[in-house]
Amino acid sequence: MNKSNVGIRVAIATILIVGTILYLAITGVRANKSYYVTIQELQGMGNHAYTRHLRVAGNVKPGSIERNGGHMQFVLVEQGRVLHVSYVGDDPPPDTFKDNAQALAIGMYGRDGIFHATQIQAKCASKYAPAKPGAQTTQTASMSPAKAS
Amino acid sequence: MKRTLQVGLPIALAILAVGFYQAIFVAPTEATMGEVQRIFYYHVPSAIMALLFPYVNFAASAAYLLIRRSNPLRAQAADALALAAAEVTLVFASIGLATGMLWGRAAWGIWWTWDARLTSFLMLWLLYVSYLLLRRFTAGGQTQTLAAVLSVFAAIDVPIVYMSIRWWRTQHPSPVFFGGPDTGIDPHMVPAFVLNVAGWFAWGVLLVTLRYQLQRKRQRADQDATLRALESTLQSVR
Repeated sequence: MNKSNVGIRVAIATILIVGTILYLAITGVRANKSYYVTIQELQGMGNHAYTRHLRVAGNVKPGSIERNGGHMQFVLVEQGRVLHVSYVGDDPPPDTFKDNAQALAIGMYGRDGIFHATQIQAKCASKYAPAKPGAQTTQTASMSPAKAS
Repeated sequence: MKRTLQVGLPIALAILAVGFYQAIFVAPTEATMGEVQRIFYYHVPSAIMALLFPYVNFAASAAYLLIRRSNPLRAQAADALALAAAEVTLVFASIGLATGMLWGRAAWGIWWTWDARLTSFLMLWLLYVSYLLLRRFTAGGQTQTLAAVLSVFAAIDVPIVYMSIRWWRTQHPSPVFFGGPDTGIDPHMVPAFVLNVAGWFAWGVLLVTLRYQLQRKRQRADQDATLRALESTLQSVR
């Protein structure tokens, strides 16, 4: 194997690998809505919305959380659009899940117009403000595994 | 190495101690997340270092590839620096992943999710695990060259990690810094954050320097051993 031959092989391998990475990156950018959908997108999906397992993002409407044993109902709001969510799952929602918090509901959209979630995740804001003195802040109780079970 | 320790260690430890005090006792408790948010002062600096030292690794690897034929002795120095930076990157990336998972469990309710930020960062971690495995377990004279090529891919992944929360919708919060309106930290949190970034940077530089010096010593010991072996063969031929 002479020297120029090695060079060509290395060049071909480099082009293949860099090309694959670029392809994955570009298709990834196009599919940028894949991690979650907004309420508006969910309601604009038509029949597809009922057949897919989805993540929906929104803000928890203040006062809408109703707990009932392992069952919970709440309303997500996003830019004036409203989505009723019914949650039945094993894990309690994280402590950061409360009024006005950003949340993700994971599950299926029912034909009854209610989103049936099997998992709730909170999403954090990118702004950190100090707690007001005397105000109730979230405690770190969810760190203990006993509570998660 | 002794001087590096005597000078570097007190500096790094002093900044980290003040940073710890600021982060745990002085910085205000965050409004929505509470005490858990203090992990921010460790998670973000570690993640910054895990995105910074790959470029030391990359620059040293590129230098190695360029001069390995024309100046083999200097190329060995570049390779030692590349190895040192790679090991320190892996340490910081591991801390970033671990603190991120703890924080995620408390703040999001989950340990892990396959969003773009977490996945691309895990990829960076895996790239450096494979980099070090490659260096450890391959035989033959090509090890350093192959490792240097692998570091190029890590260098490609770093900007993807950084931009992931800007390009895609993620579980991970969008940028806290340079993120536009309605982002950022309270001015009272700035000292704790800045001190921890500075402290972990100093710590990282200290580790890289010590590891580099150790690797240079090993290289010289190897060279001496090879030279002695060659000389003894020559004498036996004579």
